[in-house]
Amino acid sequence: MRVWYIMRESLTHLRGNRGTVLIGVVTTAFTISCFGGFLLLYLNLKNLAAFLQNDVQVIVYLEPEASVQTTSGVNQRLEREPAATTITFVSKERALREFHEQFPDESTLLDGMGSNPLPASFVVNVSPRFQDAESIGAFADRVRQFPGVTHVRYSQDWIDTLALFVSHFEFGAVVIGTILAVATVTIITNTVRLSFYTRREEIEILRLIGATGAFIAVPYVIEGAILGTLGGVLSLGVLKGTFEFLRFEIGASGWFRGMDHILMFFSVPVSMLLILMGMLLGCGSSLFSVFGLMKTRD
Amino acid sequence: MIRLFHVSKFFDQCAALRDVTIRIDKGECVLLTGPSGAGKTTLLKVIFGSEVPDEGQILVQNRNIARLRQGDVPYLRRTIGFVLQNFQLLPQKTVHENVVLPLIIQGVKSREAQKRVKETLGAVGMEHKRAIRAGGLSVGEQQRVCIARAIVNRPMIVLADEPTGNLDGELTMEIVELLKSIHAQGTTMLVATHNQVVVGCMKGRVLHLQAGRLVSDTRGEGE
Repeated sequence: MRVWYIMRESLTHLRGNRGTVLIGVVTTAFTISCFGGFLLLYLNLKNLAAFLQNDVQVIVYLEPEASVQTTSGVNQRLEREPAATTITFVSKERALREFHEQFPDESTLLDGMGSNPLPASFVVNVSPRFQDAESIGAFADRVRQFPGVTHVRYSQDWIDTLALFVSHFEFGAVVIGTILAVATVTIITNTVRLSFYTRREEIEILRLIGATGAFIAVPYVIEGAILGTLGGVLSLGVLKGTFEFLRFEIGASGWFRGMDHILMFFSVPVSMLLILMGMLLGCGSSLFSVFGLMKTRD
Repeated sequence: MIRLFHVSKFFDQCAALRDVTIRIDKGECVLLTGPSGAGKTTLLKVIFGSEVPDEGQILVQNRNIARLRQGDVPYLRRTIGFVLQNFQLLPQKTVHENVVLPLIIQGVKSREAQKRVKETLGAVGMEHKRAIRAGGLSVGEQQRVCIARAIVNRPMIVLADEPTGNLDGELTMEIVELLKSIHAQGTTMLVATHNQVVVGCMKGRVLHLQAGRLVSDTRGEGE
């Protein structure tokens, strides 16, 4: 009977305060969305850094007029390098074809130059054992000395910078997450407090007839939990919609061709955790609000 | 049943109660009289645990109210019925919902609670209005519902603060009769009133307060 009464009271509170509840849900959803968006960005950047770190390539450019013997010599010396796992030759013709495929709008740039200006190259995948900045640097220095090689490029520097950025991002995530959590608590606390104030007379009557603090507080705590859960669900919907839109736009732009699969949304457990976070924030805010207001004896 | 030993209560250094000592035995009907501001409501509040006395001790059913922890106050209140001048009903809830509330709070099982509410509403003559919202009742009916709520959990003590303050002559007599019938069942009753008709009809012991002091204690005809 008591449980039924408490549940009914919680729903009555929510129904009676639709405007306030709506504002509470939307603002909670906004703050959780900010936090969730930040988390989503962090997870995807971390994925990207891990993906790039596992796929370090060194590109060895040859002289424009390198002979077959020179090309073959570079290939043989690269095969002897322990850091090289797979070696792919990209001829001048293939380089031009790939340029046209990847940059169709800029393909006319090379038309006026008569002959193909792009050099032939070797794309070398580096063994995981040699993927740290020092080993790759040493490998690149050795390759630069090979006859017929003009220059060597590799992406390790900015990959390391990205990894460093991600590690700093973790700290930022904690700070911003805490600020947003405090903001959410403040919003829900005020929503519940408003609901509490509008029912002061009712609470006074309940005290008069022997209701304990817990009996009075529980409907408000449930109210906060429902409010927080709704905010969590709404924020998840907003995040999913925004994520799918951005994924479509990124896919259409072609900037990250071949890396679309790295972009990922929260897994089901993480999504549930986000909703649970909303619920707990709602519960906590209500408890904070209600018990703060019930300290008086009458 | 109720003992007050040299109880004083001050509000901003103004004494609402001053050195009040009273002993009320089980089953007594006590009328608390005096002009406005004499301390009648404050006396009821200290017994009910709403106000903490600044001096003195209060024993209600052998429990020291002055030393009661805040968490224990609700449990004290479940043993005391309180009838107020302004009824303090939940206007959006029905008569039945208002009266059943103390039983829900006490965790009484549903079937037992329904039985007790039916009996109590019958006793105050309001059973036929059980499904009507309290806000839609007349003042006399609201006071009957307030009394029903106060007695539904069968308290040993009923406190009433100006229970006829908002009622006209005829309704006053109805409520007096109702309070007398509750007292007749053995309930200890303490009624604060300045209505001499009520004092005359209740025929109880009369405690007269003036400026927070107990100035007279007169045994009634019914004692």
